[in-house]
Amino acid sequence: MTAGQLSRPVVLAALGVSALAPVGLLLVASVGRDWFFPALWPPTVSLESWQDAFRGGGRMAAALGTSLVLAVTTGLASAAVGWPIGRAMADLRGWPRHFGAAAAFLPVAAPPVAVATGLHLSALIAGVAGTLGGVFLSHLVPAVGYAALYFLGIFTLFDRRIEDEARTLGAPPRTVLWRVTLPMLRRQVGEAFLLGFLVSWAQVATTLVIGGGRVRTLPLEVFAYLQAGQDRYAAAGALLLAIPALLMLGVVRFAVERAEATPL
Amino acid sequence: MLAALIVSLPVLLGVGYSVLASLGLTGPGANGLSSARLAVLGEPVVWTGLAWSLWVAAASTGIAAAGAVLVAALFRGGARTDRTARLLAVLPLPIPHLAAAVAGLLLVGQSGLLSRLLFALGLLSSPGEMPALVYDRAGLGLILTLAWKEFSFLALVAFSVVATRGERLEEVARTLGARPAAVFRRVTWPLLWRGLLPAVVAVFVFVASTYEATAVLAPSDPLALPLLTLERYTDADLSRRGDAFVLVLLGMAVSLLAVAAHEWARSRWDRFEP
Repeated sequence: MTAGQLSRPVVLAALGVSALAPVGLLLVASVGRDWFFPALWPPTVSLESWQDAFRGGGRMAAALGTSLVLAVTTGLASAAVGWPIGRAMADLRGWPRHFGAAAAFLPVAAPPVAVATGLHLSALIAGVAGTLGGVFLSHLVPAVGYAALYFLGIFTLFDRRIEDEARTLGAPPRTVLWRVTLPMLRRQVGEAFLLGFLVSWAQVATTLVIGGGRVRTLPLEVFAYLQAGQDRYAAAGALLLAIPALLMLGVVRFAVERAEATPL
Repeated sequence: MLAALIVSLPVLLGVGYSVLASLGLTGPGANGLSSARLAVLGEPVVWTGLAWSLWVAAASTGIAAAGAVLVAALFRGGARTDRTARLLAVLPLPIPHLAAAVAGLLLVGQSGLLSRLLFALGLLSSPGEMPALVYDRAGLGLILTLAWKEFSFLALVAFSVVATRGERLEEVARTLGARPAAVFRRVTWPLLWRGLLPAVVAVFVFVASTYEATAVLAPSDPLALPLLTLERYTDADLSRRGDAFVLVLLGMAVSLLAVAAHEWARSRWDRFEP
């Protein structure tokens, strides 16, 4: 037996702990009451923090709703905007293509605090600072950067002869898009939506600066609970942040597999 | 070209505004062209904050990359164990950094789960004896949390590098009589390292400028560059708010330097491609 074969079970066990323990710890911390040092397990388990979160008008439930609205709209809009931009960039050759990719990379690579402070002026001029619309637009900036880069890769490899064939058979551009291109790229569109959803879901700096404290998303509530020393509520909020992100991944995978199994 | 400009325009506008604000031409407390705002670069807190952010980024990216290489090299087959290991490695990918930071706080904090486990094993008698891993000057808790979070992304890239490029070259090396250790050293490792490098640079740049996990786990002295930037941007003293624009440009410069360094290294290595 080689060293590699011997270490495989150990590394596998470590991977299992690493993948499951943090989420398990958040779950226990969110339901544990009076869980003080040195107890390894909370003396009382209660769903109080979760009930508080979802009771009518609860801060966390409202923030969850705001985060979901922002993430879904950002996901949809970034896929819709990133598609034509990525496709147009894929048509470029030579230095314009490098320039295009670098330009799309800028909002992705720029520090979030830099993006937020830079966008603040534009938001103030447009009169959207401190509004949900302004925060949505600020989330859209990095999300469109990711989506444009993603679709640049997709359309670089996409075989366009099938579109040409549909056009030759008399299909107008809209029919080619809806009946040929979109059905072929269902999975990629789903993944682009997911990418935009996750980018918005995790935003903190842009929400903080552009929202000016008036737009309360779930990450901002988690921060507030941490600063107030309310670890139980912070853990519940952190789980609420983690679960939809994990579920979205599963839902998109499932929807795509089902769609791909359905004959066109 | 127009499409690319649309994507980058909001950021370019922000950079342009930061340049003008750094020169005192606009922004809060602006009073004409002057280099007064650049004086912030003379404050030691800026450079210690930058050095601290770079240390955290280098350490966490290094640990995550080493883990990704190890797992990609160990679990590359089609057996159920390999597939399970690969799934477990990438499972935390969509978990937001803030959620990871809260879990990190509950795990390695002074009275966190790790401290309780050490107490149960008789290695500690009070939370005060637990080495500080949160808000500590070395940033160990933050480094471990970020390494855990970035590991899943780098592992995903490493799996794809091994799957798409490794098999055939390794087969050739084995046919030529190379032992498993030599195959790893001469074929697998160079392939993985070069295939992973763009993702490693991306992770380094991201971690150096990340805000949320840093705000939860980092100390207030030294103050990490992203925290210092936002602190100045929201300072009650309007004359200090302008400092944030200089710090924004400093953060952008670090990101651009890292990307440029990567492109330079890649072009050097590409010359050796067969």
